[in-house]
This record gives sequence, structure tokens and C-alpha cells, in this order.
Amino acid sequence: MNSFWNGKRRYVALLLFLAGVFVALVVPPVIPFIQLAGENLPAGYNIPFTDIRITNTFVAAVIVWVLLLLFTAYIARRRPSDGSEVPPGGFYNMFEALYEGLMGFIGGIAGGAHFRLIFNMFMTIFLIVLLSNWMSLIPGVDTVGFIHPHVKEKFDPETQEYKVITTDGFEIYQGFLGISYVNGQCDWVSPADEAAADAAALAAAETEAAAAQQTQLEDAAYARYQAEHGEHGDDHADEASDDHGDSHAEGMADSSAATAAYDEVLAARVAEKQARADRGCYTGVALAPWQDGYNGDKDAKKEPIPLHPDPSSEEAKRVPWVVLPWVRVASTDLNMTLTIALISVVMTQYIGFKALGFGYLTKFFNFATLFKSPLGGIDVAVGLLELIGDFAKILSFSFRLLGAMFAGAILLFVMSFLVPILPWPFFILEFFVGAIQALVFALLTAIFMNLATISHHHDDDHDDEH
Amino acid sequence: MDPQATIVLGKAIGAGLAMIGAAGGGIGIGISVGGAVMAMGRNPDHTATIQTNMILGVAFAEAVAIYALVVSLIILFVLS
Repeated sequence: MNSFWNGKRRYVALLLFLAGVFVALVVPPVIPFIQLAGENLPAGYNIPFTDIRITNTFVAAVIVWVLLLLFTAYIARRRPSDGSEVPPGGFYNMFEALYEGLMGFIGGIAGGAHFRLIFNMFMTIFLIVLLSNWMSLIPGVDTVGFIHPHVKEKFDPETQEYKVITTDGFEIYQGFLGISYVNGQCDWVSPADEAAADAAALAAAETEAAAAQQTQLEDAAYARYQAEHGEHGDDHADEASDDHGDSHAEGMADSSAATAAYDEVLAARVAEKQARADRGCYTGVALAPWQDGYNGDKDAKKEPIPLHPDPSSEEAKRVPWVVLPWVRVASTDLNMTLTIALISVVMTQYIGFKALGFGYLTKFFNFATLFKSPLGGIDVAVGLLELIGDFAKILSFSFRLLGAMFAGAILLFVMSFLVPILPWPFFILEFFVGAIQALVFALLTAIFMNLATISHHHDDDHDDEH
Repeated sequence: MDPQATIVLGKAIGAGLAMIGAAGGGIGIGISVGGAVMAMGRNPDHTATIQTNMILGVAFAEAVAIYALVVSLIILFVLS
């Protein structure tokens, strides 16, 4: 097998590159749909026996856990049980080298009495964040998923009711081999918007026609008035009846002129629709809208969300479609990063209490020197600042990871959209960003934990790192 | 003006203004890396220690820029 592939891999790479070019030509890239919160999977994908819907970032988190468990089991199985120094080689050897390197690294930073606990936390957070960051490099993550109509409801505070939002989304069109694609060239116009535009055009045409008729009637009345006063004024009744008949005839003539005005105004609307149809874009027809779980009233949350039965049907082509990925990188969801940040900060407090007992609290509420030294008030203020700083740590941890990884995901989306065949330099960039962010997260945790174990009372000469 | 267009305009301007904060992060990273490279040039034996501290400082400086990025992302994709 190996000898067969020798020297042939480059052709495989070239073939894949050409396939990328071909696919980019056949399937036009679509402007990505970007959402900060994790997307809910459709109904039927609840957490078992509950009403809680699974988000696609949660799927990624579960995959990370499973991978970590498998990884741990593998390492435990491959580890030499007799304590021999010779490593078995392969992946195990690589991981052992990494492990020893990081162990020495953390030993230099936090090599005190609590080294084991700090290193365990460091390694756990490092591996979880690293794996979930690197998931963005796997093809199919963030890109393959449910195609669903992008119609959402939103509460309108003015009318006090839920309106269907139809501004975003793209139409689907039939590709080859029976596969349907999202068409990025056509914005979607909802049936409601289309009907409203039609009604507006009709109303405009009618007012135009009425105005034209009014003008003609006034002209006719003026002519009649001129005729009446220009000629002699006897036989009023006959004249009036004649005039009446005449004006009726004139009214018929007027209405044809009004019809012309009416048609002229409507023609613009018809041309607009025709231009749209010429571009190959459809107008939407009303289908059951995609109801998102969190809007509407509370009971609606338990209602099943209709997945569209058949995306390739003729009707289904005429609604806006977006992709809901099955798996989205877990670090792009604030829930994940906030959870790890909370664990990190809470464990820091735990280690502080474990190392210093209740004396740890004097780090935050430092009243010991308040009346002894002239600068005691400063110590109190510094302690309170430390307390605020610990809460700020939660925010800074979570937003740093979220910002870096979400921006990376958007970078990959946009680059795939702009340069569909060549986003790979950015994948290399994401590889390094993911590794560095994981290292920074875990390293900061280790450093804060080490700081928490150091007592304040030993160094009264204010030469610590603050 | 179309209210939808006004909203988009405001979001774009706000997101752009929020990203001015990234300049601070860039300056900080430049200063810290510059100092680290000079230190590494003077005593190459301590490269490992200096590099660690440099990456840590860069991460702190980068965090400020990322906060600005998060604010602009929230303006663009969360506000409606």
C-alpha cells in the first residue's frame, strides 16, 4: 500500500485542486449566513426525554468529549505497564514528547506544592480547547448540514404581533444529478412583500387614472361652461339634458384615457417583475414558515418545527434557503467558552483556599493594615480591585477565545466566498491561531492558579507582579 | 431614507468605529515583540523564557483588540 502511493500523492493533490476548480465553476459560491449564537437543530433532535433543543455547537462539544475519551483510553492502553523507558513509538511517542515538554514548561511557571493539580487543569483545558478549535479545519464542519427555509418570526413592538422576516436568504435551484443548490445570485422576495408591492402599484395606478379622469372632466366642464356662456342662454332644460348626454360620452372617452394612464403606471411594475424572472429568480410562494423555537409564545416551543419534506420539489425552490450546519466549532459559541472560563476561575479560587485556607480571603478583603499604616486604605482598594478583577477574568477568558475563533470562522467563510478554490493559506493561519489560543487559555489558567497559591503576607514590600 | 438602509448604515459605521480599538492591540504587540526580539538577540540562551513571556504579553495585548472585534461582531450580527 505504502509503496503504491510513493510519488503519487502529488497527483492526488493536483486532482483535488482541479476538482476544487471544477466545483467552484459548477456551484457558484454563496454569501455565507452568519449568526453569533449557536443554531438550534430542528425539532426531533432534542436532548432525549426533554424539550431542550440541541445546538450544532453542542454536537461539536460532544464530539470533542468523545474524542478525548477515546484518546485517553488509547494512551492508557499503549502506556508501558512495566515502567520501561522505551516508548512504543508512533502517536503515543509524539504525545509523550508533547506532554513532557508542557510538563517542564508548567513546572517552570507553577512548580510548587500544587503542581499536580495545576498541571492537570492546564492539560485538560488545553486539550479540550485545542481539539474544539481545530475542528474548524475539518472539511464539512460549518458547511454541511440541513438546508432549511430561512423565514423567521420576529416580534414587532409597534403592532404587537409577530411578523415574518424575509429580508435574508437565497433561492434554491436545481443542479446536476438531482442535487439542489442555493442560488446566491437571487435575493428572495416574500409573497407578502410581493403582494404589498402589487397593491401599491395598483393603488398608484388607480390614483393616476382617477387624476387623469378628473383632469379630463374638468376640461370638459370648462368647455361646456364656455359653450353655454358663449352661446345664447334659452332652452336651458334641453341644453342641460344634451350636455348631460355629451358629458357621459366624454366620460367614456375619459375612461379610456384613464385606462391608458393606468396601464402606463402598471407597466413599470410588470417590467420589474419580468426583469426578475429573466434573471431566473422566483418570487416566493407561501409555505409553512420555519418556526424558530425561541420566538412565539412559550407553548410554541414544544411544537415540532416542520422540516421541509423535499428540497428538490418545484414549490420548495421558491423559498429562501440557508444551510444549518450539523456541526459548528464549539469555541464559536459563548456558552462553551464561558463554561470553560467559569471552571477555570472557580478552580482558581478552590486552589487558593486549598493552599492558604481562609487566609485566602485577605487577598480580597485586606483590612489588616487599614489602621496600622498610613497607606492602609490603598491595600483595601487593591483587594477590592482584585475581587473585581476575578470577575473580569471570566469575561476576558470567554470573549478572547470566542472572538478569536468566531473571527477565524468568518474569515474562512468570507475567503471561501471570495476565492473559492484557494482558502488553504487561511486554514494554516487558523491552525496556528487555534493552537495559540488554546495554549494562552490554559497558560493563563495555570498562571492565575499559581498566583492564587502565593500568600500576600510574605512580600510586604510590594514587588509582586501587579 | 429607507429605515432598513438607515439601520444597515448605522451598523456599518458603528462596527467600523469599534474596530479602531484594534489599533491599540497592534501597537502593544509591536512593542512587546520588538523588545523580545532585541532581548533574544542580546542573550540567545534565554530565548525560551523570553519567548514564553512574549507570547503571554502578546496574548494580553491581542485580547484588547479581540474585545473590539467582539463588539463590532455583536453590532453587525446580533443587533437587529
